[in-house]
Amino acid sequence: MSLVEPLARPASKTMTDIALSLAGVDKIYLANTKRPIHAVRALDLDVARGEIVALLGSSGCGKTSTLRMIAGFESVSNGAINLAGRRIDPLPPARRGVAMAFEGYSLYPPLTVRDNIAFALKNTRLSAREVAAKVAEIAALVEIEPILDRYPTSISGGQQQRASLARALVRDADLYLLDEPMGQLEPRLRASLRGRLKNLILERKMTSIFVTHDQTEANALADRVAVMEGGVLQQLASQIELKERPANLYVATFIGEPPMNVFDASVETGETFTFTVKDGPRLSYRATEFGEAARVGIAKRPNAVIGVRPHDVKLGVGDNEARVVSNQWLGDQSHIALDVAGKFMVAVSQTEVAERPGERLRYQIRSSRVHVFDADTTRAVSHGHEAAEV
Amino acid sequence: MAQIELNRLSKSFKKNHVINDLSLSAEEGEIVCIFGPSGVGKTVLLRLIAGVEEPDRGDICLNGRDVTEAAPETRGVGIAFQNFALFPHMSAYDNIGSALTARERDKNVIRIKVERVAKLLKISHVLQQAPRELSNGQKQRTALARALVADPKILLLDDPLRNVDAKLRYEMRLELPSLLKASGSTVLYVTQDYKEAMALGDRIAVLIDGGFAQIAAPSEIYRRPATLEVARLFGDPTINLIPGRPDGGSFAIAGVAVPLGPTYASETGRACVLGLRPESLKLSSQAKPGAFPVEIIAVTPLNEKVVLLAHTPDGREIFIAEAGVEDERRAPGPAFAHFDPAEALLFDEASGQRIEPAL
Amino acid sequence: MMERILRGAAITLILVFFLFPIFWIVLMSFQTNEDILRIPPSPFFTPTLSNYTALITGKLVSNAGTLDIAFMHNLWNSVLLSTVSVAVALVLGVPAAYAFARYKFPLSEDIAFTLLSFRFAPPLLVLLPLTLYFQEIGLTDTYVGLVWVYQLIALPLILWIVRGYFEDISPDIESAYRIAGHSWPATFLKIAVPLAGPGIAAAGLLAFIFCWNNFVFALILASADKQPVTVGSLAFVTASGIQYGQIAAAIVLSITPVLALALYAQRYLVEGLSLGAVKG
Repeated sequence: MSLVEPLARPASKTMTDIALSLAGVDKIYLANTKRPIHAVRALDLDVARGEIVALLGSSGCGKTSTLRMIAGFESVSNGAINLAGRRIDPLPPARRGVAMAFEGYSLYPPLTVRDNIAFALKNTRLSAREVAAKVAEIAALVEIEPILDRYPTSISGGQQQRASLARALVRDADLYLLDEPMGQLEPRLRASLRGRLKNLILERKMTSIFVTHDQTEANALADRVAVMEGGVLQQLASQIELKERPANLYVATFIGEPPMNVFDASVETGETFTFTVKDGPRLSYRATEFGEAARVGIAKRPNAVIGVRPHDVKLGVGDNEARVVSNQWLGDQSHIALDVAGKFMVAVSQTEVAERPGERLRYQIRSSRVHVFDADTTRAVSHGHEAAEV
Repeated sequence: MAQIELNRLSKSFKKNHVINDLSLSAEEGEIVCIFGPSGVGKTVLLRLIAGVEEPDRGDICLNGRDVTEAAPETRGVGIAFQNFALFPHMSAYDNIGSALTARERDKNVIRIKVERVAKLLKISHVLQQAPRELSNGQKQRTALARALVADPKILLLDDPLRNVDAKLRYEMRLELPSLLKASGSTVLYVTQDYKEAMALGDRIAVLIDGGFAQIAAPSEIYRRPATLEVARLFGDPTINLIPGRPDGGSFAIAGVAVPLGPTYASETGRACVLGLRPESLKLSSQAKPGAFPVEIIAVTPLNEKVVLLAHTPDGREIFIAEAGVEDERRAPGPAFAHFDPAEALLFDEASGQRIEPAL
Repeated sequence: MMERILRGAAITLILVFFLFPIFWIVLMSFQTNEDILRIPPSPFFTPTLSNYTALITGKLVSNAGTLDIAFMHNLWNSVLLSTVSVAVALVLGVPAAYAFARYKFPLSEDIAFTLLSFRFAPPLLVLLPLTLYFQEIGLTDTYVGLVWVYQLIALPLILWIVRGYFEDISPDIESAYRIAGHSWPATFLKIAVPLAGPGIAAAGLLAFIFCWNNFVFALILASADKQPVTVGSLAFVTASGIQYGQIAAAIVLSITPVLALALYAQRYLVEGLSLGAVKG
């Protein structure tokens, strides 16, 4: 088996592969009052069996409401939720075949950690020995073996969170819901836990959805990520898709740390395509560098928003030049902020950069790295040489 | 003469030695980041300097004056708290102005200064609002404005970006250095984020278990950490640590004698821990001299790098970070890892101290 | 549906239970003694203001002659005693509450609890010794003596409620003000007290109500011209019979100020009362 091979997941999903399906789901709080809150709008979401999907967004975007609707703690205002072939939105949580790990730990105080986890297996037909084995296995995975016989009030927040996670994962369920599963954990622990958790989910083909506001977590664990904002699903795609072909400006600037640099620009087309950033540089490219569909899309727009990721800004070469505002070296990479069009343009370099603040530095942005967005709709027009999907 | 001088400070709460025999000096205009894992030590240190807590032992000199016994209002420092600590019953304007009203009577002078710092921090449009009407980012900037408005010689910032969302935090991380340098104050900046510490600090004081494990420039701390613990705290993913005993110029990893070069030859037989940063490990599919076998378990593409979780044959977890691998995708399976000996770090197992390579 | 009916019925019952006496007394206050004592009692009568006039003018005209009533003076005593007691309790109690909230000195919890326990102790426990001591130091039948004794009622209340409010203020806020250059007294007055304002108001209000309602202390330790309304109403038990009408009117006049105050500040009262119970 070679080391380098294409990403594993098959692109097509046949009907029988879909485990969870949300169709046209709305959630409206305070529906009959003067100011209803539309927390989730017309959400369509399909999750294949054994897939891990992350619901990613800032606070208030609707991701937690969505999770709670799937779990059954909130009613669905409109639409339907189907799991394993049956409609679950009218059912109470206990009858849905769903296991959930909560953000607020929610362990039962009078039971030890071990008993808490074992409690999830109470209604199964397993023998005491089998239960103990499963508990031990999951405890090893989340590294809580030393505290199995302690009570929830005597362990730290991070340990409580891991215990809650263990309790959700020890069961066999059709769907696993995790609400910010690692929010309280130290970075060190998160990195190793992520790897092991992903392995477990893959091995057991556990269909899972987890909610997070942390991109790294979403990136690390998920097969696909659903970016939500304002109750609306912005884009549901793999991490690579989101990064390289963001559907709109929101996804483009949300995904990625440091965030994508975006600028308003006027566009001139012809033999040369020139993006003139307002109060800023001109980026000129030969028209033929772009694919035909992309050319057509860009040519339609005399004004656009262009974006370039910090990692795609090449320093030390190129026709453009700017003043260095800050130069921060972080051990394994440097973050350089350049003064462009009155704001910061951040470039990330894998090596140390010599130029200090105040000095000038050349930079280059290749056409294959430019993302163009429609100035009015903020939808993506092109990514590099290719047109964005409509 | 140093602007801030802390001399053998100690403070404990009920037998818990939160700060133990700490010494630190900061020059005028310097930004010193106090970094460490979560715990109360860093905040207590700032409180001692501000004067709202008293040290059990040791003394504090600010601006050349011994202030160990002095009341907080006489110390002339500006402070910004992690939880903002804005006065809820006052407008943002009055909050900021409170740092001036104790000494300045002239309302016009106060207005000019408050408006100037508000403009600098881009909160001029919310000055008349009460704290509860402000967003987190605006609250944080108001707290900063309050700290800066009186042009204090000494600025104490207690993790001011902690409660602010990721985007804004990154933006502030870019803006703060120039802001702080322009103010000319000597700054003590507390943070739990090592990237923030490296980005902002002229020097970093690493506080572990009540004491400073190392006080040095960021590059020094990253490249030549004083102890194992310091090495662990800087870097994401954390540094790989492999115990063993050097033997002549090599080190055994999973049974393979990996060359360390002649610089550590004198440590033969000593119980050591080898530190390998994830970015210094390189993968190949073929065995080569100096490479040890690993099994790749999980591949995690992050923003600008790919993090791989691998196991050595003896079951040890190893993190490898590969930068900017765009067109190749790695997959789980067997591989070989090697590194440049010059990038390796060696620590004494018992004490955790780093062993200097012989030249 | 059933739940709603039952709930409605329960609330009505409770309301009737609590409000009926007040309603009846208000009715009585507009009736003459004859109407009140008539058997069987009748809801229909001609209302009269004679009871109120008697109280206000201070003269009760009855079959046995004209009697001087000191009711208005009693009312004034109530106002004076309650207000001054609460004021003194606030001046003493608010800084004390701050001390208990902010500084953990040895035995602080025990001292605080002891002070609170004064509320539990029946007044009769201290009355006899107090009477003797007051006589010795000459404080019987003085406003000063009464205000002092009323501290037993007002202080613990203020201490406990206001302490909770001070504890709720993040110490960082006060530290921020100090570090900004202000002295401790300035911080206390400009930051701590305003932020604890609702609690102080609620505590003061409650203390006022309890002082106003006190009967036993004034009964024993004061004589006629220092008596508040609670004691003063005893005067209506006269040799020529119990003047129910005037008592009713006196009660209405006595409870009106406090009721009005309580209704006006009702929100603060609930907040202040539940504070002790629900501390995070």
